[in-house]
Amino acid sequence: MRSIRHGRVRSMRCVSGLCLVMMLLLLPVALFAEEKYTVDIVRKEAQKITIAVAGFPSLKVGPKGEDFGAQAGAILTDDLKSAGIFDVIDPSFLPMEAAKVDLGQEKGLLPALNSLKVQALVVGRLSSRGGELALEGQLFEVTKGEMLSGKRYVGDARTLRTMVHRLADEIVYRLTGEKGIASSRIAYVSSVNGAKEIYVMDYDAYNPFLITGNHSINLSPRWSPDGKKIAYTSYRDRNPDLFVIDLETGQRQKISSRPGLNVAPAWSPDGKWLVFSMSSGTGTNLFLIRPDGTGLRQLTQGPHIDISPSFAPNGRQIVFSSDRGGTPQIYLMDVEGTNIRRLSFGVGDYSVSPRWSPRGDKISFVGRPHGSFDIFLISPDGTGLAQLTASSRNNEEPSWSADGRHILFTSTRNGSRHLYIMRADGSNQRRLTKDGGESYLADWSP
Amino acid sequence: MRWTRRAGVGSTVTLALMTLLMTGCPKRPEVVETVPPPSAQPGQTGVSAAPSTKPAIPEERSPAEVAVPAPGATPTETGATPEARIAEAEAGREAAAGAQVLELKDIFFDFDQSAIRDDSTKLLNEDVEWFRKNPAVKVTIEGHCDERGSSEYNLALGERRARATRDYLVAAGIAANRISTISYGKERPFVVGHDESAWRWNRRAHFVSSVK
Repeated sequence: MRSIRHGRVRSMRCVSGLCLVMMLLLLPVALFAEEKYTVDIVRKEAQKITIAVAGFPSLKVGPKGEDFGAQAGAILTDDLKSAGIFDVIDPSFLPMEAAKVDLGQEKGLLPALNSLKVQALVVGRLSSRGGELALEGQLFEVTKGEMLSGKRYVGDARTLRTMVHRLADEIVYRLTGEKGIASSRIAYVSSVNGAKEIYVMDYDAYNPFLITGNHSINLSPRWSPDGKKIAYTSYRDRNPDLFVIDLETGQRQKISSRPGLNVAPAWSPDGKWLVFSMSSGTGTNLFLIRPDGTGLRQLTQGPHIDISPSFAPNGRQIVFSSDRGGTPQIYLMDVEGTNIRRLSFGVGDYSVSPRWSPRGDKISFVGRPHGSFDIFLISPDGTGLAQLTASSRNNEEPSWSADGRHILFTSTRNGSRHLYIMRADGSNQRRLTKDGGESYLADWSP
Repeated sequence: MRWTRRAGVGSTVTLALMTLLMTGCPKRPEVVETVPPPSAQPGQTGVSAAPSTKPAIPEERSPAEVAVPAPGATPTETGATPEARIAEAEAGREAAAGAQVLELKDIFFDFDQSAIRDDSTKLLNEDVEWFRKNPAVKVTIEGHCDERGSSEYNLALGERRARATRDYLVAAGIAANRISTISYGKERPFVVGHDESAWRWNRRAHFVSSVK
């Protein structure tokens, strides 16, 4: 089970310029992260890494006496379980009480863990000084007892979840060479306040905050590839216009406002273009436009509907939904608008909402084989059709996680529309949003 | 389980740092990251909260947006007389919008269709008469859809329904510059419900007076 190596291990990027400055200031304790790891823990989808979480002693410094220390451990455990690549062992299997394991005491645990065939151990500790919180996390490979990673995150109570998510992603990265999803975010439409506003929340549905707030209808948020901007459609000015908001500056720009539709945007992988649908003649066709509103170029023509485009990760092809054949079906085309061919067959008379997977090997979409809507996968060559959801109600609007291991979607299985997450093979479907209004049209950040 | 660690192909600065640091503390690598509080994020910790009503990123307000009614108050549960329900909901909508209630008849469509049905042509011919008697009034036709299918596809379908209705009126001699169109897709149902008794009323073209 440990024979295949990861072919490519991406070098880890510094999180921010600030981080770089901090590290330069803290030379004696800092190890620059620009390294490459080859870890031959092999993971097929069904083969999980067994991991133990220890430490996280009680730290009751919250205004209401909350135990932030225990919270940090719980958040990390949830993150590791959500990652979908770990078996997190129950703390009762540890030879000593998990919370009593301090940093530097891993040696007392490793032999017992090794005999339990546990492969990795995380020891964490949260400490406070003034209003500041520091999270330390160490990751060990159990057999040899070697430390794979040791990190310290400094923040405060407001950023506790973010700090723990970063630690979780660090663990995933060190063990798989791939970026984790714990620090990712989700943009979505919510009707919780009566209107249809766009919100952004953490990947685990915590910390929702409002992006629009115009009391109108706002739809189809789409993250830019660098995660810094969101394109969306808003009826703010009494027409469905296309906007781009910069999340760092809060600046928003209306980039397309032709009378009629300016809807359903998707970013090119290099972030230099958006493809979207606009009313054109008697049809709704696909256009390219730069994120600053310049360079408008028509890609498709005709009196039919071309909608919901998604770029291939190589930037050379676009998948979209079109009723040019009579009913809405999934089509592929080259990025110049040429070589249009139908992809979906045999999943009923209504196939919409295609999204290309981050690895490029799959396209998710919504089909309606028997009255209700469900999520399907298909390869770009038309083979490998697979159904991921099957409930009596509707499952729609799939959106991939950046690692391609998870799919976010909208389901009415419990009544009104809410967001759900599943593994990319359809397993482990679970509800994400639970608040009052409806939540839908979600897009998972890079 | 074996793991190896190799220096990356980073800059010379990186390599120098690595050499320095690896000799400095080979067994306890530790990287410090500062996690700044996100500026746009409310200080909610540990509790999954409902989305706040206050915009985290202030939005510039346009005069027009005030006139757009919130859709949440509009739909009513499916009842015995959909027409009455629709009229009631509509009264609230138009009051909120400050727009004139028109005597124009709405028309309805089949699923995933935008063709004018035979039973609609009589209503539209009455609408044509109304246009002739009210030559100064400009009208917006809203295209609407039922809840089935994707939000995005339904935006285009609603657009097509609104345009088909406009085209019928223009072909009957009404000046095209008196009629504008807008699609709300499935975002503003007139009747809330999850079966055909609601859907049939939501697949429609609806007339409102154009607000300057």
